[in-house]
Amino acid sequence: MSGSTIKVIIGPQHPALKEPERFILETEGEYVVDVKVRIGYIHRGIEKAMENRTYLQGLYLSERVCGICSDAHTTCYVQGVEELLGVEPPPRSRFIRVVVAELERIHSHLLWLGIAAHEIGFDTLFMYVWRDREVVMDLLEIVSGNRVNYATNTIGGVRRDLNGERIQKILKGLKVLEDRTKEYLRMIEREQTVLKRTVDVGILSRSDAIKYGAVGPTVRASGVKRDVRADDPYAAYDEIPFNVIVEDGCDCLARIMVRGREVLESIQIIREALKRMPEGEIRVRVKPRIPPAEALSRVEAPRGELLYFIRSNGTDNPERCKIRTPTLANIPSLCKMLVGGYIADVPIVLAGIDPCFACMDRVLVIDREKGEAKVWTLDMLRRYGREWYRKR
Amino acid sequence: MSREEEILEKIKESFGDDVKNITIKRSRRMFAETDAKHLKEFLRYARHELEFDHLSAITGEDLGDEIELIYHIAYQNAIELSIKIKVPKEDPRIATIVDLYPSAGIYEREVHDLLGVVFDGNPDLSPLLLPDNWPKGVYPLRKDVSLEEIREILEKGGEKG
Repeated sequence: MSGSTIKVIIGPQHPALKEPERFILETEGEYVVDVKVRIGYIHRGIEKAMENRTYLQGLYLSERVCGICSDAHTTCYVQGVEELLGVEPPPRSRFIRVVVAELERIHSHLLWLGIAAHEIGFDTLFMYVWRDREVVMDLLEIVSGNRVNYATNTIGGVRRDLNGERIQKILKGLKVLEDRTKEYLRMIEREQTVLKRTVDVGILSRSDAIKYGAVGPTVRASGVKRDVRADDPYAAYDEIPFNVIVEDGCDCLARIMVRGREVLESIQIIREALKRMPEGEIRVRVKPRIPPAEALSRVEAPRGELLYFIRSNGTDNPERCKIRTPTLANIPSLCKMLVGGYIADVPIVLAGIDPCFACMDRVLVIDREKGEAKVWTLDMLRRYGREWYRKR
Repeated sequence: MSREEEILEKIKESFGDDVKNITIKRSRRMFAETDAKHLKEFLRYARHELEFDHLSAITGEDLGDEIELIYHIAYQNAIELSIKIKVPKEDPRIATIVDLYPSAGIYEREVHDLLGVVFDGNPDLSPLLLPDNWPKGVYPLRKDVSLEEIREILEKGGEKG
């Protein structure tokens, strides 16, 4: 095949979001036949940095692993440290953790829905969704004081309580979000602009999703019922009834529907959490030194299973803190989805796993025979995708 | 008997002394140790006989003279079993497990980058996280590499600097 394939290099510059990646696509005509991945362009060495800092300083580092799901990271981190210490956070703090985690999931999924709409050239939907996303951003600000990096968790509990006035504002905001999300789901199921670009695009079969270790909405859109909140409950998830959302379309549409329906489920979880939340303390004081031990902590971040493995050594610094983010887990599945698909579908399939991804800065097209190289911007690739579908 | 205890008994029965220190730390968290020779056999058993069908991650840690590798595998997305092995730091080498868990490819690349462990049989161990011009033989997650050294390399702009 080497005589006729052309390499299309996408990335690595995605300056707007956390994870620049480079994908080297081997293409034949309009088809992608092989994919190679290179990441690490903004590898900041946080695991190494944590070994050289105290547990409390590590909390602030973990908050900054991801700008979108910062709360998932601190939840996972503090749970691990609390297990090492043998400390139980007070019940009320576990419910507050659920409320913030689900608000974060709503904001992340709506952000993603807007990006997905943009990738398929449906900018009207993008604008509407991002307008409505401001409602949840305001709620997060009411709850934590911040739109991003909520700094809610601390070792031994949470830092800020929820009072009656804040709870009323949350309930009011949730109603708006619920109505709007229902409206989008109703529309997306019928709208040809969406269906034509997402049905049967980026297929990941049920068995491949398990085989390649997919996590989060990506695995659930392939009909696999896996959700850390239900399977390996943490915080207060074992005290709140909720459904694990599964779709069996195995394509990009299924990934949209899973996230959309999860927004509605998150709204229900927050309502239940606020209803069932007991009165009491929100944190316990902890000692800074931890005797040698190890703990493995998992949470369901908006993008899927997030894992921290922490080992203590008797000092106030961890010996090792391993972090495995959901996007890394979904890269092998992503490669599987891209192979056999059209070049024009690359942006939406890439966005389909929600890889903390907004814009690929440039695309380099190299003709290996002639050695010619063309540099494309992501906009050019997006336009190419839209034009290509229009002519088809 | 809990599901964790059942798994523990099955492992003991099948592997005897080859898999040591099997512990249930709390519900849904298990730890065990083995050696490089029996790792593959154990993971094959866990994958096919015990239905641990998800590899969550591979952790590597520098212990001084040895490098420890911890394979975190999950049963029905709930029970996490961490199986540990040690390889000598002078020649850190272990067989790949991509044939059992295809997702291992990217985790092995990560450990190869940061700790210099060679995974025999992994088809692609090219740099994943470190810059292209990162000096050969410097593995930043090893304990003997200081933050100052890393800072210096980055300021010089890598090998070609």
